[in-house]
Amino acid sequence: MNLSTLIPTFDVQSVVIDPWTTDFSEKGWILLMGFLTSVACGWVGQHLLLRRMALMGDAISHSILPGLATAFLVASFLFGQRSESSHAARDSSVMLIGAIGAGWITTLLIGLIHRRSRIKQDAAIGIVFATLFAIGVVLITLFADHVDLDADCVLYGEIGFVPFQETLRAFGLTLGPVPVARMAVVTLLTVLATIFFYKELVISSFDAGLATSLGIHAPTVHLLLMGWLSVVVVSAFESVGAILVIAMLIVPGATAALIVSRLPSLFTLIVLHSAISSVAGLHLALWLDCSIAGAMVVAGCFLFTLAWATHALLRARDQRHLIAQPLPTPTPL
Amino acid sequence: MTPPTPAPPPPPPPLEIHDLTVTYHRRPVLWGVDLAVPAGKLVGIIGPNGAGKSTLIKACMGVVPIAGGWVRIFGSPLSRAHRRVGYVPQRESVDWDFPVSVMDVVLMGRYGKIGLFRRPSRADRDIARACLEKVGMLPYANRQIANLSGGQQQRVFLARALAQESDLYFMDEPFAGVDAATEAAIVTLLHELRDRGCTILVVHHDLPTARNYFDMLLLLNLRRVAFGPTDEVFTYELLQKTYGGRLTILSEVAEAVRQHGAPIP
Amino acid sequence: MKPRQPTALLAFALLVVFAVLLAPAAEAAKIGELTGNSVRDQALRFLTLRDPAVRYALAGSMLLGISCGLLGAFLVVRRLALVGDALSHAVLPGVAAGFLWSQTKDPFAIFVGAVIAGLLGTLVVEGIKQTTRLKEDAALGLVLAGFYAVGICMVTMIQRLPTGAKSGIDKFLFGQAAAIGPRDLQLMAVVAVLATATVLVFYKELLVASFDAAFARSIGYPVRVIHYSLMLLLAFSVVSALQAVGVVLVSAMLITPAAAAYLLTDRMHRMLLYAAVIGLVSGALGCFLSFLGSNLPTGPLMVLSGSALFTAAFLFASRHGVVTRWWNHRSSASRVRRENTLKTVYRILEDRKFHGEGVSLRELAERRRETIEDANRQARDLVRHGLATFHPADLCVLLTPVGRQRAIELVRNHRLWELYLTHAAHIPADHVHEDAERIEHVLGEDVVRELERRLNYADTDPHGRPIPTPNAIQAAGPVETTRRPPPGYGL
Repeated sequence: MNLSTLIPTFDVQSVVIDPWTTDFSEKGWILLMGFLTSVACGWVGQHLLLRRMALMGDAISHSILPGLATAFLVASFLFGQRSESSHAARDSSVMLIGAIGAGWITTLLIGLIHRRSRIKQDAAIGIVFATLFAIGVVLITLFADHVDLDADCVLYGEIGFVPFQETLRAFGLTLGPVPVARMAVVTLLTVLATIFFYKELVISSFDAGLATSLGIHAPTVHLLLMGWLSVVVVSAFESVGAILVIAMLIVPGATAALIVSRLPSLFTLIVLHSAISSVAGLHLALWLDCSIAGAMVVAGCFLFTLAWATHALLRARDQRHLIAQPLPTPTPL
Repeated sequence: MTPPTPAPPPPPPPLEIHDLTVTYHRRPVLWGVDLAVPAGKLVGIIGPNGAGKSTLIKACMGVVPIAGGWVRIFGSPLSRAHRRVGYVPQRESVDWDFPVSVMDVVLMGRYGKIGLFRRPSRADRDIARACLEKVGMLPYANRQIANLSGGQQQRVFLARALAQESDLYFMDEPFAGVDAATEAAIVTLLHELRDRGCTILVVHHDLPTARNYFDMLLLLNLRRVAFGPTDEVFTYELLQKTYGGRLTILSEVAEAVRQHGAPIP
Repeated sequence: MKPRQPTALLAFALLVVFAVLLAPAAEAAKIGELTGNSVRDQALRFLTLRDPAVRYALAGSMLLGISCGLLGAFLVVRRLALVGDALSHAVLPGVAAGFLWSQTKDPFAIFVGAVIAGLLGTLVVEGIKQTTRLKEDAALGLVLAGFYAVGICMVTMIQRLPTGAKSGIDKFLFGQAAAIGPRDLQLMAVVAVLATATVLVFYKELLVASFDAAFARSIGYPVRVIHYSLMLLLAFSVVSALQAVGVVLVSAMLITPAAAAYLLTDRMHRMLLYAAVIGLVSGALGCFLSFLGSNLPTGPLMVLSGSALFTAAFLFASRHGVVTRWWNHRSSASRVRRENTLKTVYRILEDRKFHGEGVSLRELAERRRETIEDANRQARDLVRHGLATFHPADLCVLLTPVGRQRAIELVRNHRLWELYLTHAAHIPADHVHEDAERIEHVLGEDVVRELERRLNYADTDPHGRPIPTPNAIQAAGPVETTRRPPPGYGL
């Protein structure tokens, strides 16, 4: 076991100092991308957690793949191969269409199986996402030259390439790499939507029947939420990959839930969690020379573990108090 | 002269509960309950929603953890007495799409008597059939359980409990959602069991019928309000204490305990 | 209720023989080196099982199909499908650790690492559920994603090692059946045998713990032990399938064959058998397809085979299939329509006091408030079923004896039911027609007898119309039918 070759020495200069100074023009974009992705995913994921649908996030992030593959295939047949004329806006819209389409098809198929047979929802989710994902893998393997997706990238993304993507130029300014700009827009829209539609989202999560009777049609809200989830997932896809996106959906919200109970505070804590995990993750990846996105997720999980441990210790302390103190005797009625 | 042999100690009561406390998410659901149920009685457990009636049964059956106090069944803890106890859980606790037939479910009642590697024998099947006959469900023996009405499902559960051939039975809302004919049939069956010497505790939700069905009543609302023969216990004052007021003082205390985050886990 | 003893033993014995025969072997060529020229050549080469590599791959795929199918059945009925998903993702760090420990693709090291990781994941899920107020889906998602992230980091670290590029660890993500060697096959055989044996021996314990855990606990079964043993077996099964199917998709091999079996039968022991068989077929088919297109990973193809079988079951299963139910519904709907037409013809004749035998299409259309074309279509349907004849000359429908008999039966059913509703159920006379319109088609003979008895063999309905007697029914029918009237009517 050659751990020494596996874990490089911890060189303070290159791991901790350089990213903020000399390499900042490159590493800064990576940090920003990680932060934005985590915030967007975390906020959407919090809605999923409220509805106890965390694993729908799992399902949709897998089934995005065939949507993207199909969309790129269709686009390449319509507009010629990708290498000829690459246009950021067109690429984005192709991706979005593919993603939203895939997200809605997933939701519809799961509902179809679940309602029309005695298969329960959990099995329906498992069957649908795996089938769609399998179709996606087959598509990208068969049509590798038409579809610019690589199997490895799908799984763990490569956030490290983000600074080297084509830069977006608008209003005469250089706004930064295209993926970052895209993610920034998505994040902003997510935050705004959550704020403006706060009541509707919360009521339909809490009591779908009540919501529908008040005129907030719960199934439509669900479908729209799934659509937006697809948008967020596909925007995160490129940098984080299909599977790690699931972590970014769930971990920030779960960590926050261990610390506070009020919903607005949850959303704020998610932002804080995203910031810390992005920074810590970058440093971790620079040290261990591993997948940056993976490291960011690992950092986020570490934060969760800390919160969990603290929570458990506090509970144990309360329990010790209980044994020491006598129970209040109920006053006779 | 030989000293007179001491009389053998009286047999332990079928159910004895001492200072039982059960909590759920830091809030007490049962608080300091004491109970000693004599043998051969049909006991109804009544109280408002959330009073802890189901929880009491589940605590006795070991389905929920106990925060304080103890439960003894025929003088032993449940782990050593489970052969003598039968259980009819709430209908919602089961997935009725499970691929088993009515006969399969009733045979499960015999599993406690069959050892680890053995299969149900012919005798077990005969007993199962007899129990199905007793509840009037023998024609449905091969039907999958989803294709049954509410009353029929309840009867299947009952047949399973009968197949256990126990001395002490716990039943959680056996009359919920059943038709009148099934209800009458179940009551007759319970009285037969009682006459044979079994002890039966039934969580019940309907006050008027409670008075007619049961020998003894346990009035429960977070704690034991009263326990005794039906005629003595079914009084206006005691029922008022059990059901009256949306928040009894004890509930307020329980809520305060939960909010201040103190001592109960 | 339980699998019949001799069949079960036979199946078990076959499995053991199968496993033993295929396990030990010499070195084998990799499937990747066996690319043929055309698809047909490839297929033939596969089917003749000439190459040891093909034999291993096929045997392994079938074995994993069996284990995954059997254990997946319990996941499906216990609604733990997503636990299988979480478990299969959570094993990745264990696989990577196994790699690091042994420096090679040693199946034993990987197995141990993966099982430890899987069990740890299960414990963490339980821990989170019990110590926090996070719900099951959040706990599963956390473990799934968290463990997987750690695994991905380790995988990328391994790939940057000098020995890493050839480690073959990336094959564990999407699976490559071609990479199954003799030692892997031994492992898969052991797992399959273990899974089958456990299910056979502990069938009733697993059954009752899955169906009604509270009851199981009350009869003294160690429900937690049973649950964790199932999780352990599941971990074994997942790990044995990893190499062929890959981490991402192995949960589908657990769920899809079992879900298809769930739709095909109403008994647990048959469901287990079907799940094992469907799993076996999916595995074999996926392996075959992967061999045909030599650069395709096996995992997705196995999953797609399983999904195809699931879709077939979903649509066409004899009791629960969507298409079968629609078909039954449709054919019963057309039967109802036909019978309603028949009844209308009879009613028209009755109102005419049975003067003349023919009912014109126009009368039919007016009575049923539909167009002449519809009436025509209905009439032709009656003819097709031998219930009437049609005179094109004067556009008249005449009932055959069989048709007349059925018409009278229907009328009787309808009127009896109306009478029952008004007398026994005290429903006002003007409310009962709709109900009777529906019920008349489905009353069976025994129910009709009971109704007649209860209503004391009454002879008029709430509207004063006569209720046909069985005598009348018999008289109307073809001369060959011999039906004895019930006692109470006399002759």
